[in-house]
Amino acid sequence: MNLPLFPSLFQWLKHPRGYLALLVLAALILFPMIVHNPFVLHLLIMILFYAALGGAWNIIGGFAGQLSLGHAAFFGVGAYSCVLLNLYTGLNPWAGMAVGILTTSLFAAAISYPSFRLRGPFFTLVTIAFAEVLRILVIYFKDFTKGSAGITIPQKMGLANFAFREKGPYLYIILSFAAGVFLISYLIEKSRFGYHLVALREDEDAAESLGVKTSRTKVKAAVLSAALTSIGGVFYAQYILFIEPYSEFSLDLSIQFALVPMIGGMGTAAGPIIGSFVLTPLQELLRSWLGGKYAGLHLVIYGCILMLVVIFMPQGILGLIKKRFGSREEKSSLRPIAKKNHGIED
Amino acid sequence: MVQEFIQLTINGLLQGGIYSLISIGLTLIFGVTRIVNFAHGEFLMLAMYATYFLFHLIGIDPYLSLLIVTPLLFVLGLISERLVIHPILNAPSFMQIFSTVGLSVALQNAALFLFTADYRSIRTAYSTKTLLASGLLISLPRLIAFIASTLISFSVFLFLKKTYIGKAIRAVAQNRTASTLMGIDIRRIYLFTFGLGTALVGMAGALLMPVYYVFPTVGSLFVLTAFVVVVLGGMGNLTGAFIGGLIIGLVESYSGFYLATQLKEAVYFIIFILVLLLKPSGLFGIVGSEEMGEK
Repeated sequence: MNLPLFPSLFQWLKHPRGYLALLVLAALILFPMIVHNPFVLHLLIMILFYAALGGAWNIIGGFAGQLSLGHAAFFGVGAYSCVLLNLYTGLNPWAGMAVGILTTSLFAAAISYPSFRLRGPFFTLVTIAFAEVLRILVIYFKDFTKGSAGITIPQKMGLANFAFREKGPYLYIILSFAAGVFLISYLIEKSRFGYHLVALREDEDAAESLGVKTSRTKVKAAVLSAALTSIGGVFYAQYILFIEPYSEFSLDLSIQFALVPMIGGMGTAAGPIIGSFVLTPLQELLRSWLGGKYAGLHLVIYGCILMLVVIFMPQGILGLIKKRFGSREEKSSLRPIAKKNHGIED
Repeated sequence: MVQEFIQLTINGLLQGGIYSLISIGLTLIFGVTRIVNFAHGEFLMLAMYATYFLFHLIGIDPYLSLLIVTPLLFVLGLISERLVIHPILNAPSFMQIFSTVGLSVALQNAALFLFTADYRSIRTAYSTKTLLASGLLISLPRLIAFIASTLISFSVFLFLKKTYIGKAIRAVAQNRTASTLMGIDIRRIYLFTFGLGTALVGMAGALLMPVYYVFPTVGSLFVLTAFVVVVLGGMGNLTGAFIGGLIIGLVESYSGFYLATQLKEAVYFIIFILVLLLKPSGLFGIVGSEEMGEK
């Protein structure tokens, strides 16, 4: 496999992108040692959380261009596998996470084989339906899943139990996870696998004719994306120590996972991180300013942001930056993602 | 036993009539613009609020308010098309979905902000009136809604078949490049179709109000059902959407009784998944209509 990190082990440090990334990482590691304000730490945790999950979605949604709005299903399956195992067998949450990853991967492989035959809005609709069915089933089988009442996770603190009183440890866990997702995305971006994904996003038939095994590639990407999403599900459950079906499997959550890379720049490793650093604080601040006094107003703004982003900056923030400061090569890579033509000129 | 079954069938058909009317607007918009409009449910919600306030503030009967709500929603559809749909007509489908999801979130929460999360309903003399025929109960407002939605669907069908603009709409739905060459102004057709689809869901809102509550998220409750109906009937197929609505109404009624009320949604979502996977063109889809889903 072509690992771009190793041929020039320290070469990448010379590029502004390399040392900037390292500086950001160092700042994030030092941050909780200096700042102890719980709100600020919570905000940072949520930023990294959405950066990681946006990054996970980006593998199938951004690189491969398969717009799933059902990723909350993977999130929920991961969280429920871990929490239910803990509840009934007392299995340690870390081991539960491993089982969660396994169940989610199997589930993703099983549903993606048939789903990937569908294209465009049909694919999106079927992903929404899968998440809805799961939510309804979790609510229905309440003897086993505790239904809509949800499950409170027993508060046994400590690293072994993946539960802490302080925000600090959560921050480091989610930071390593987000960094891991970024590294995976970066490797994908530079690898043969990544080029295959982009090729099938741009033109599936052409990619197929050039020898890309499109179905197999898509399923691989979906399983990887789902597995990473399930880790996020376990993290979130252990962070708030409570799960319930309405928020675990919600369409809103799936939309959020997709929106983060979309704001930052879809199909790029850095996109979800940039997107989350812009979007998450904006949302959390709007919510805390407006949420109490004027119910719903912050979500009106959220909805408008969504529309404006699609209409005015479909390439995301990274697209705007590249257009402004990028090299010629980068600019030429910015052609519209799979633009379709309906026979009308605009 | 048989009595019970007939009663369930009647309930299912009556509920299905409402689903049909909501879905016809959605399928019409999809067939012509190829955009999956996630904000369709919010237009239903707005129509229901309009009916509610017309009744409470001015005392206009819900059925009479059809005359006001329908043009109101038509105009709302035109405005939304201009502001939100038109700029993204050439974007990839996932961009379009995002844009309409954004519209849906904004409208839903604007309603929450303006009207609060309270459940509101209309009490009319006929709200709870039922007809009793040989031991079978038929709710009068539901029967009216069913008959009205059948008539409306039939009129839309005739409109598309007989009038000039109707023929133009069908032409654009079939092949937009050829339609442009034939001198049809595609953009006006998009605009008009979006208005028409929205007006249809507006009628559904007014007809639904005497038997249902309105609250900010009522639309999302119906819009997923409408998607199921639209896919079942074949995207863009009006007759399919009408029959699909009745089928989903029946499925809901039977599974709610024979299985469990909480599972009825799961049942039709599973049908939805199966139809999508096995026959994406829908039960009544025209050959090749599944290509609408392709880029």
